[in-house]
Amino acid sequence: MKRILPVFFIFSVFITGSYWSAYSNVGSTIYFYNPETNINNFATLKTAFDTYLVNHGGYYFQPFDSRENFEAVIKEKKGDIYLLSSWHLKALQQKNVPLKIALVGTSKGNTMQRKVLSTKKDIADVSMLKNTVVAGAGSEEYIHSVLKQILGKEQEALLKDIKILIVPKDIDAIMAVGFGMASAAISAESGLDKLAMINPNQFRELHSLGFSEKDYLLVAATLKKPERQEAELLEVLRKMSEADAGGENLKLLGIDGWRAMQ
Amino acid sequence: MKIMEFCKVLILLSVFWVSAGFAQPSKVLIVNSDNAVFRYGTIASEFKKVLQQNAYQWTEFNLNSHADAEAELKQLIQQENPVLIYCIGTKAYSLARNVASNKKLLFSAAINWRRLDIGEGTYGVANELSSAQEISLLRYFFPTIKNIGLLYNDKFSREYVETIKKDASALGINIINQPINDAQEIGDALNELLPKIDMFWIISDPVVLSSKASVQQIFQSAQQRKKPVYAYSDVFIEQGAVLAISADLATIGRQSASLALMVDKDKVPEGTVQNPAGSTVTLNKCALDALRLNFNQDALDSVNKIVECNK
Repeated sequence: MKRILPVFFIFSVFITGSYWSAYSNVGSTIYFYNPETNINNFATLKTAFDTYLVNHGGYYFQPFDSRENFEAVIKEKKGDIYLLSSWHLKALQQKNVPLKIALVGTSKGNTMQRKVLSTKKDIADVSMLKNTVVAGAGSEEYIHSVLKQILGKEQEALLKDIKILIVPKDIDAIMAVGFGMASAAISAESGLDKLAMINPNQFRELHSLGFSEKDYLLVAATLKKPERQEAELLEVLRKMSEADAGGENLKLLGIDGWRAMQ
Repeated sequence: MKIMEFCKVLILLSVFWVSAGFAQPSKVLIVNSDNAVFRYGTIASEFKKVLQQNAYQWTEFNLNSHADAEAELKQLIQQENPVLIYCIGTKAYSLARNVASNKKLLFSAAINWRRLDIGEGTYGVANELSSAQEISLLRYFFPTIKNIGLLYNDKFSREYVETIKKDASALGINIINQPINDAQEIGDALNELLPKIDMFWIISDPVVLSSKASVQQIFQSAQQRKKPVYAYSDVFIEQGAVLAISADLATIGRQSASLALMVDKDKVPEGTVQNPAGSTVTLNKCALDALRLNFNQDALDSVNKIVECNK
């Protein structure tokens, strides 16, 4: 009996420890919202990321299509890690939301991107965009803000005479110019590279009227200094590109890896 | 003195009419073929959001909720005097064209709009992406595909196939097309076509897609020859199509609204019919894996839906 008790005690500690260790991560969630795209792929994102994350520590992924709802969960500090655009992060930081970047997304080795205003070559300068349609992927507020930055103070008055057409993705916006549904497009520079690859004739018909400032691609941020659980989740996220399934998931977000911020 | 009085009255009247004109926001009449149909409902909802942002007023008329739609629509048009009538679906457009041919009409969600009775003052957003858009996006996913085959009926799809061939040729893709007179010829046509191609393209041809059996025959033959099938609609994904690219409904609604605003300001040439600016992409990874067919992984950033195998 004397020998059985310690064995039973050790066994109980092991079992309960394993139990808590296995389930302590339940509920740890990555929240995602990106106003720089308008592609309705939330069900696919949810399935793909959950499948991966549940098998890599029991984490979950929650995409949002509404900025208000996403900001509400940040306010309630519900998430452990938030994936968002750097434009959105800056807007939140200006409202004193203490989000700090932990990881920045990479694409073909770059962590930064800039947006470009493209038109057909018969539109020689931005003043010719009065009473025209500009296509862009993302929220209207975001496209408006990028356009304002590209137009600058001198041409800002043009904004009220420009109609913004929201399309699902960058390539739709750029092709909308080529096929005559819009006079100009706001897209990432990489969007033009895509067009050069898939439709070189149309690419040759376009030129750029202006660029935004460079900004990070998607970022992963936390509200406080990551504790053990958040650090583990960040590590799982950082290593996603090392696995085939993880790499494919990142491509759904338009990135191919993560780089840690010092 | 009388002249002065007269001038004052004239000025006052002018001010009244001008201000009345500015005070009244433009009104659009939305005629919906059936608002219970999901695609029509989605388009209408996005259209209204843009109108609201631009302080336009609208009235809605749903054909499915009126016993004598023609008479009631006529009366409503007289009563509301809209600046433009937005017609969702072929039925709505045909009726509006009958009762208000003198009004500016804008249509969307009309299948094969080229068969519509289009008059002056008619504008539209087509229901289908242009073949050039489809081929460009197809190349994004499968950059190495060179020979694409399709079946079609000459009576229904000759012009469309000619456009496809021209657009594909400009992008370095060879379209091998095989005409058929009726569905009985599908088997022989596929036997001849499939060995020559890298991918089969299902186009919206009523003879080729005349029955479920015809569709099954296409997928069975393609599977036997290990040829991937691309389709214009995601309804073919379940049958085994590797990729489907179609127009994004929400964008059609927003695009129609943008066009309506520009039409109201006379900034659009009469008769403008645009192709949809947004696309929806469904990728069947299960079918791709079965064929061991590689695709450009960077294109995953443009996918709306991925279909995996049921495990």
